[in-house]
Amino acid sequence: MSAAVQPLPEINPLQDYLRFDRHVPPCAVVIFGASGDLSKRKLLPSLYRLFYERRISPNFAVVGSSRTPMSDEQFREKMKESVAKFLEDAPFDEDVWRSFAQSLYYVAGDLNNPASYDDIHQKLEEIEKTHETAGNVLFYLSTQPSHYAEAIQELGEHDLTHGNGWRRVIIEKPFGHDLASARKLNEEIHKVFDESEIYRIDHYLGKETVQNILAFRFGNGIFEPLWNRRYIDHVQITAAESIGVEGRGGYYQEAGALRDMIQNHLSQVMATVAMEPPTVFDAANVRDERAKLLRAVRVMKHDEVPKYAVAGQYGPAKVGGQDLLGFRQEPSVDPEAQTDTYAAVTFFIDNWRWADIPFYIRTGKRMPKRVTDIAIQFGAPPLGLFKQETKTGLREARPNVLVLRIQPEEGISLRFLSKSPGSGMRLRPVSMDFNYGSSFGERSPTAYETLLMDAMAGDATLYTRQDMVDASWQIVQPILDVWGSTKFDFPNYPSGTWGPKASDEMLARQGHVWRVP
Amino acid sequence: MSSAVIFPAQPEQILKGLGKLWTSLGQEEKHQGRPTVLRACAMTLIAATDEEDSGFSASQTISELMREHPSRGIVLAVSQQAERGVEARILAQCWKPFGKAQQICCEQIEITSRPENWPNIGPILIGLTAADLPVVLWCRHKAALSPSATADQKAGLLAVMNLATKIIIDTKGEDATQAIELLAKWRAERRLVADLEWTRLTRWRQPIAQIFDNPSTDSSFSKFGSIEVSYTDEKPCPSVFYIAGWLSAPYGAKVAFKKVEGYGPGLHGITLRSPSETIEFERTSCDCMSLRSTKGRERKYNFNDSTLYTLMNEELSVLGPDPAFNAAFARAEELLDGR
Repeated sequence: MSAAVQPLPEINPLQDYLRFDRHVPPCAVVIFGASGDLSKRKLLPSLYRLFYERRISPNFAVVGSSRTPMSDEQFREKMKESVAKFLEDAPFDEDVWRSFAQSLYYVAGDLNNPASYDDIHQKLEEIEKTHETAGNVLFYLSTQPSHYAEAIQELGEHDLTHGNGWRRVIIEKPFGHDLASARKLNEEIHKVFDESEIYRIDHYLGKETVQNILAFRFGNGIFEPLWNRRYIDHVQITAAESIGVEGRGGYYQEAGALRDMIQNHLSQVMATVAMEPPTVFDAANVRDERAKLLRAVRVMKHDEVPKYAVAGQYGPAKVGGQDLLGFRQEPSVDPEAQTDTYAAVTFFIDNWRWADIPFYIRTGKRMPKRVTDIAIQFGAPPLGLFKQETKTGLREARPNVLVLRIQPEEGISLRFLSKSPGSGMRLRPVSMDFNYGSSFGERSPTAYETLLMDAMAGDATLYTRQDMVDASWQIVQPILDVWGSTKFDFPNYPSGTWGPKASDEMLARQGHVWRVP
Repeated sequence: MSSAVIFPAQPEQILKGLGKLWTSLGQEEKHQGRPTVLRACAMTLIAATDEEDSGFSASQTISELMREHPSRGIVLAVSQQAERGVEARILAQCWKPFGKAQQICCEQIEITSRPENWPNIGPILIGLTAADLPVVLWCRHKAALSPSATADQKAGLLAVMNLATKIIIDTKGEDATQAIELLAKWRAERRLVADLEWTRLTRWRQPIAQIFDNPSTDSSFSKFGSIEVSYTDEKPCPSVFYIAGWLSAPYGAKVAFKKVEGYGPGLHGITLRSPSETIEFERTSCDCMSLRSTKGRERKYNFNDSTLYTLMNEELSVLGPDPAFNAAFARAEELLDGR
């Protein structure tokens, strides 16, 4: 007997993809850790903003959950304060808020308490009817990472992972604290959710300018032919922060710069810069290429770590007339802490495109300024016709740098040499700039707006997959192993500088220098 | 920042003037020790205006649009006040993004023509469009659009239209029959034509479309066989036919038009009826639209008046064919014919 044929769902004939914002299906979003900082600063303001711009379905609801006892009304009031305070580049509209607030609900409960999940189950059933959410539910784990596995297990046990519609889960970083713990966490989650339902968030991938790397590389025909070891000398990725740990000393002491930035954000950025073009621009193909790239990164042997990785920690300094604390003097930090507040690593990618080309990645706190960029340093012209010196006294051996700026001034600039006006052939470097904000003027959505929309729409392109997480842990694990058993002579760079001297030496060994972003 | 009037307004002279303008901007910046200006251009945007329009608001809107749609802006004004036959003025529209040191500049050319010279404006423009980039004509020359336009007015408009990859007009407040006939004629000539009255409808269309995004409920759009469109003017304006055409095109729903007292002008409300549900969209105040349904759905939307800038900004983002407008327009023509 043949199975009954289900009619295909009707495609909305009123959709206008040229003019309307992207289609997002009805759904309920359940936020665990709803009274936490991330919810207040990022998640609720992003959801409000999406609602204000009518980019999410009117059949939408939010269920916040955390330990703090609150009524729906109290939760709405609390979130109203946060949204009004943390809304970026957007007006707060009382009328729109009132409409939005009707879709906000709260369930008080402890992640350890099974009864809380029954309450959420009941609330979701009510909402499915009143808000016509079609049974679609997006769970957002904005809790302590140590609670992820337990919360997911409870979702499974309380049958919250199945219903009339789809079920998805967003998991915040850090995803594990090393390779073994990441694999263990993956195993636990896969007992309940299929990989296609898991959205591991890396907010760097949601940034407009990181997405623009793909548009830049694969939307144009002129750059990709140069994008290989034949024309590129090396790549530098910098993510510098001018601030210190800002009250997060306790957390940061356990994490460190390598775990906090390089294992996740910056390795994903490197993968985006270096991956092969996907055959089709969809989640599976883009993520396949990112994963393939990460798997091609050479895993260091333990004895290679001192040569290719440098750890640093900021010390006290006087900057601009202000006394800045060293990391060890920060509140909640062990005065003997061995934590890396700076990390610089040389990676090599063992594939045909990138063999022997160094990818230098550095990140640090208390650097001279806040900047994140990627510099593609092209090789020298084959024949140096113009040998005279520049004003700086150095001949420009490798004059061409393409800089992809991620923050704070998003854009792209290409440096090349040009003849100075006048007689004689005096050359000087000039820069051709594309400024993302000023070229489009429109407000860019925040990374969380983009990523929340994507998860609701079922687009996982900008989320990390299990094999990507696994590969990125594999490439940093030897460094973590060696640093974990090393007693560093910290602090080794004063606040307000570009990091320890050893980092400059690491590049000098390859005949390179860090650029000044 | 402006330069002197250029006369005669020959393309070569205007381009030479632009060249000098950029050089002086660069020198000024160099003198101040700051980075040079950045010149940006993604299209040629021509705003054709007539005496009633004076060109001021077009010029102002083009300046605002430069940030999203950097372009070589050309404002064509027809004026008896022009001292000489056709004269031009060039200026750079510059802005400094917040907190940035570098200025972004776009060039703007203002061409003023005495009415008798309007038919000869085409050859000047041919030499002024930016190479290899789309040319958008924003036609605000009401006299040339009118059915009673003189042969000269028509000839001038035709010359400019022939340069354009897209033509944008605004039929707000126009007679629906005349407006739709004019657009139909241009469309038959295979011109890409947009109407800002259609653009104004996006803020209505988007929330209506969202209602039918959930195919699992019984709110499937195909079940809504009856549509009522209410308006506040004496006669229904083009947008009333456009929205009716848009809603009726997919499944041929029956349409009724109704004049009401209420917030307007133009479109006031839309009622969609199925055997099991009635959904009403209505402007309930100057800046608010509400949704109510017999199944208890209720929602309010902000409804701020669209400015010329927001409308043009949306329209310049759609430089190719617009399938939704094409379908709505075809059905609107039928509704106008009583079909």
